[in-house]
Amino acid sequence: MRWRHMLALLALGISCAGPAAGPDPDYPPVMPGVEFRFPRDHGAHPAYRTEWWYFTGWLQGADGKPLGFQITFFRSRPSADPSNPSAFAPRQILFAHAALSDPVKARLIHDRRIARAGFGLATAAEGDARIRLLDWRLDRRADGIFRAHVPARDFALDLAFAPTQPVMVNGDRGYSRKGPRPEQASYYYSMPQLAVTGTVVKDGKPIAVKGRAWLDREWSSTLLPPNAAGWDWTGINFDDGAALMAFQVRGRDGHPIHAGGTMRRPDGSQIVLAPADVRFVPRRRWRSPQTGAVYPVEADFIVRLPEGVRRVRLKPLFDAQELDGRAGAMPVYWEGLVSTQSGRGYLELTGYAGALRF
Amino acid sequence: MREDVLRLTAVSKSLPGGRRLFEGLDLVLAAGEQVAIRGESGVGKSTLLNIVAGLDAADSGEIMVAGRNLAGLDETERTVIRRDKIGFVFQAFHILPYLDLAQNVAFPLILQKIPRSKAIARAGELLDAVGLGERRRSYPKELSGGELQRVAIARALVHEPALILADEPTGNLDPDTAEQIMALLGRSVKQRGAAMLLVTHSPTAAATADRQLLLTPHGLVPAHG
Amino acid sequence: MAETGGGWRWLIAGELRAFPMRFLLAGLAIAIGVALAFAVHVINRSAADAFGQAVRSVSGGSDLQISGASALGFDETLYPRLMALEIVADASPVVQLRAMIGEQNKPITLLGLDMLRALTVSPNLIGRTSAEAGEAEAALDMDALYLSETARAQNGLRIGGRVDVRANGRSHSFTITGDLPGVDAGQAIGVIDIATAQWRFGRLGMLDRIDLKLAQGVSIEAARRAVETVLPGSARLTDAEAESRRGDTLSRAYRVNLDMLALVALLTGGFLVYSAQSLSVTRRLRQFALLRTLGMQKRALGAQLLGEGALLGIAGSLLGLAGGYAIAGAALRFVGGDLGAGYFGGTSPKLHFAPMAALLFLSFGIATAVAGSYVPARQAARIAPAQTLKDAGDPVDPRAAPKAWPAMALIALATLFAFLPAVNRLPLFGYLAVALMLAGCVAGMPWLARTLLRPLARADSRLPSLDLALHRLLGAPSQASTALGGIVASTGLMIAMAVMVTSFRGSVDDWLASFLSADLYVAAASNEASFDAETQRRLADTPGVAGIAFSKSLSMTLDPELPPVLLLVRPVAGPGYELPLIEKARRPGVGLALWLSEPAARLYGARPGAPISLPIGKEGEPARAYVAGIWRDYARQQGAIIIDARDYIALTGDEMRSEAAVDIAPGASVPAVRAAIEARLPPDLAGRVSFAEPASLRARALALFDRSFAITYVLEAIAILIGLAGVAATISAQTIARIKEFGMLRHVGMTAGQILAMLASEGALLGFIGVTAGITVGLALSQILIHVINPQSFNWTMATTIPWALILAVVAALIITAAGTAVIAGRRAVSRDAVRAVREDW
Repeated sequence: MRWRHMLALLALGISCAGPAAGPDPDYPPVMPGVEFRFPRDHGAHPAYRTEWWYFTGWLQGADGKPLGFQITFFRSRPSADPSNPSAFAPRQILFAHAALSDPVKARLIHDRRIARAGFGLATAAEGDARIRLLDWRLDRRADGIFRAHVPARDFALDLAFAPTQPVMVNGDRGYSRKGPRPEQASYYYSMPQLAVTGTVVKDGKPIAVKGRAWLDREWSSTLLPPNAAGWDWTGINFDDGAALMAFQVRGRDGHPIHAGGTMRRPDGSQIVLAPADVRFVPRRRWRSPQTGAVYPVEADFIVRLPEGVRRVRLKPLFDAQELDGRAGAMPVYWEGLVSTQSGRGYLELTGYAGALRF
Repeated sequence: MREDVLRLTAVSKSLPGGRRLFEGLDLVLAAGEQVAIRGESGVGKSTLLNIVAGLDAADSGEIMVAGRNLAGLDETERTVIRRDKIGFVFQAFHILPYLDLAQNVAFPLILQKIPRSKAIARAGELLDAVGLGERRRSYPKELSGGELQRVAIARALVHEPALILADEPTGNLDPDTAEQIMALLGRSVKQRGAAMLLVTHSPTAAATADRQLLLTPHGLVPAHG
Repeated sequence: MAETGGGWRWLIAGELRAFPMRFLLAGLAIAIGVALAFAVHVINRSAADAFGQAVRSVSGGSDLQISGASALGFDETLYPRLMALEIVADASPVVQLRAMIGEQNKPITLLGLDMLRALTVSPNLIGRTSAEAGEAEAALDMDALYLSETARAQNGLRIGGRVDVRANGRSHSFTITGDLPGVDAGQAIGVIDIATAQWRFGRLGMLDRIDLKLAQGVSIEAARRAVETVLPGSARLTDAEAESRRGDTLSRAYRVNLDMLALVALLTGGFLVYSAQSLSVTRRLRQFALLRTLGMQKRALGAQLLGEGALLGIAGSLLGLAGGYAIAGAALRFVGGDLGAGYFGGTSPKLHFAPMAALLFLSFGIATAVAGSYVPARQAARIAPAQTLKDAGDPVDPRAAPKAWPAMALIALATLFAFLPAVNRLPLFGYLAVALMLAGCVAGMPWLARTLLRPLARADSRLPSLDLALHRLLGAPSQASTALGGIVASTGLMIAMAVMVTSFRGSVDDWLASFLSADLYVAAASNEASFDAETQRRLADTPGVAGIAFSKSLSMTLDPELPPVLLLVRPVAGPGYELPLIEKARRPGVGLALWLSEPAARLYGARPGAPISLPIGKEGEPARAYVAGIWRDYARQQGAIIIDARDYIALTGDEMRSEAAVDIAPGASVPAVRAAIEARLPPDLAGRVSFAEPASLRARALALFDRSFAITYVLEAIAILIGLAGVAATISAQTIARIKEFGMLRHVGMTAGQILAMLASEGALLGFIGVTAGITVGLALSQILIHVINPQSFNWTMATTIPWALILAVVAALIITAAGTAVIAGRRAVSRDAVRAVREDW
């Protein structure tokens, strides 16, 4: 579940209605009982307020040293007056973010792209994953492989993601609750255990890489509960082929408001985790020297499975994986490469540098 | 009868501050007579000359110049008497630097509205007489001090005045030149029949005069060279 | 020198004590010259800085900009084409409008931005959402308006309020969401979303600007080349530096003119120093001779006079710098950074001290004073001690006929220079011609005086006073020419300026009369384009209106190095629209007929009938046109081009107009028609339209003219007053120096009245010769100003009008000044004490 960029865009006010912005666009509600169809649902759903394609994973070069990465394409439909005939009218906003974590150097580098749709500069096609955002691209080919082309300021990612498992549909057949009210929900599927091949350009040198990745796909029209301050999320690819997605939404008092997740066993069977089945327990905190925010960078996700409670201890490959987006009017959060016993994944911690504003 | 050129009777003069210069001064100058007045610095020699010239007024007494009493005349009439009857020779020459020698000498005639050609011709004669005839077109800056005083003598005599007033005419000259100039001045004045009142503190210069007087606060007394 | 150092100071101090006025005047003249030059420099620096800052503020920190060649902008499809270029890292499209906000009608620059692009390209233009505005209003809010602090302050607006924004003839309401922290103080800028700007203010499909951020390592030059390949005729490549330079170009000629006047003041100062020093040398020759006799070295004596000059220069220049800075401060406060000339509209400059310039002008002042002392110093150093102890005459021999050829050569050279073209758009040779002409005339004065006076002196007037006066002027030629030089120079400049300004004003008046031939003029507030086609039809049908013609003007870049010209859209013939034509094309050319103003024609080198292309054609392609005629214009120095309204609509479809000229039907009254028009205006225009009748427009235009010439008048008056004071000082000093001469003249039988008559004759003769020569040279200079300097600086010509009454007054004033000064000084010299002077020695 990837809301942080939705929040980033919130900071820019994209999805907020001004008092005189004219009629609110007609956002379709998220309702249970809708069957996903592919490749159609890999493509954009422009009527909904928000949507994202979110890859996280780890890579290994010839030298065997690990690298973490994330690539996100985010689509938003602002509440602009639909009668504005200007070609610049922000009917759709596309935003993308890419980061590279280097555990050897204990350093995170990132870059982003943002544009309003129009003039062929930013498009998210319907029917299949095909996104153009300035010089960044994401395509799903006929062979089912996703390809991302991301030239960034200090690095470049050119990666192919080959599915090794079927799509993992989260929640109630893709209807994923985010809060106590039924409309606080999204359509949500993941693609864990993606086999990655490609090239990373780092320090000016191209490196051939291989690795494992995770794709999160989510679209929705409704926001988080109004009293939410942030959330903690993880997605883990286990070495035996199993996968875990778990999250909790924290209130302003720091207590969980809502939680959930999906556990897929190595045999492919899958368990939907209810709010009561997921607990997040911080183990070690790290204070960011830049922002002063304190993050539980080492924590346990404790999930209750039919076979018993499983404690997944997440350890960051290094601590300094905070993304300080203040310069670009973006929020501050921690998003990092983590490892666990016989598995690796990403941990996302938001709302620690002051409550996120909605 | 030969008229007296200058007659001073009981002339008194005090300075504006109140100090008395002289009192009851009498002097008579006959035509052609040359009188030298000597005296200490500050006794009023120049003031006496100015009174005679009508440039300064006496406190009391009668001043007759060429038969006319200055006391009864206004400024313009006194100026006319000065122009027509008196010639001046100064210690510092006072030759106008922007006129040539002939123009300088002719100037008193011009003031009398004599036609210019005539005035210049007459000036030429006078310059011949003082030995500068050849240099009538020169400008004063080309002349030495002695030469300048010769020009001044020519200028003083050009309009044939009855009276020459000479105020320290050799004061700025070296002794040799002074002697020559005094000789020239005395001779020239005599030739033209004018009277001369010479004020000087130089015994040598005074010696050229017919008589020498000493200016004292009580008037003029005969001086002995 | 060491042993004479003490004596040196003592001598200078003594001389200063003895003649304080003379030195005060000379020092003051230097001070005024330095003050004026420095003030002009500081004012312009400050104004140019403010202008540059405004340009930079609006560009928001981008590397390079594409701007519309005209106010119509260019097609927005250029934006993706630029984005596709390799050299472009990012590009930010901009709609730029002049807008009014609130009720105070203070214009702001309204920018429609895509905040997402501006974020990386021009981050200084990103608005900061204020907490008090609420969380909902933010950067991508379509109704958010971000206002710079100045824009809010000028219009009395607070963050959080709602405000109507009017631009391009339309109005829309916005919420003031936040401020623009990156915009410099003093800049009135508002930022809204680009889509809203296009939609609400009639700019759909059009952009006015694209700001570029270049890819890393791309040079500006490489970027220029790449961008040129995709640029349509309707867009131009600019950068902030070139924009500033264009602002500079516009005011440069005006500034140089002011600098020249300051230079005249400085030179007058130099002349005064020269005259004061030569008189003091003449007077002190004996003192110097004594000093030389006592063993002072020749060089030390010269150095003493140069030292006096330098001290005078330092004191005067320091005073001038302080004064100049103060003048600049006052002028910026009360007149504005353009000194009333209207070049830097809308910017309010802060005073900048310019230390380098201060140093430069300081050295100018000192150099002038030292140069003024140089000739007298040489004269003093050369004296022969023994010789000088006698009475000194004029250093120049009166018998030698002065040579005419140096003056002739200078004047010939001046004439030649007058025919040379401008250098870098500045009339440098023109100014040189003025200087040489003046120098030639001054150099020719001894010859002229002798030529004029000799016949007079030969004639026997039987007037001793006149005779002596004539002989003195002939016999002391260098003293005479010193006084004459001052008279000639100040008369010449005075007459030249008077003729030029009178001609200019007369031509402007004629031009206004022919330009303003309608009965009533209607203009929308701040010249917003406010009359749409419907309003135009309604107004044309107003009872009492016999004819109405609508117009608008928009700026347009033909050459990126030149300031934009104004395109005037109006009927070429019609009610109230006559053109003061200078030239017409003999036969029609190809394409549209365009009528160029004289400045435009001169700036772009266009002749009648020549082809010209207009960057506002369809599809961004330039429209073909030809120069149908050239008309006189004094209002738009940057040039103006008239296009017939029908041609313009065919080309652009733009029917919005900002002004109208109305012919009133016979029998109808102006107030009645005015009221009827007002009643027919649409509600949003009511009260935002102003009316003017030709008489008041003309009065306003002439007032504007006088305002822009105000500083010129003041400078000129100061220069002339210094000149006159210099003449008076010279004459009175010469007179006072002649006190012994007057004593002798009184002795030999001149009356006091005759001496005064002589002095008055001398003064009047000097005045007469000086003024005669001055008028001649002044008329010649005025022709250089009118036919060389004005066209080369401002690109307009004018017809000569000679202000005879003024010239006569000037002549009388000068002769009276010269004669009067001589008499007044003479009165003192002829007093009773003067009689004693014959006996006084030094």
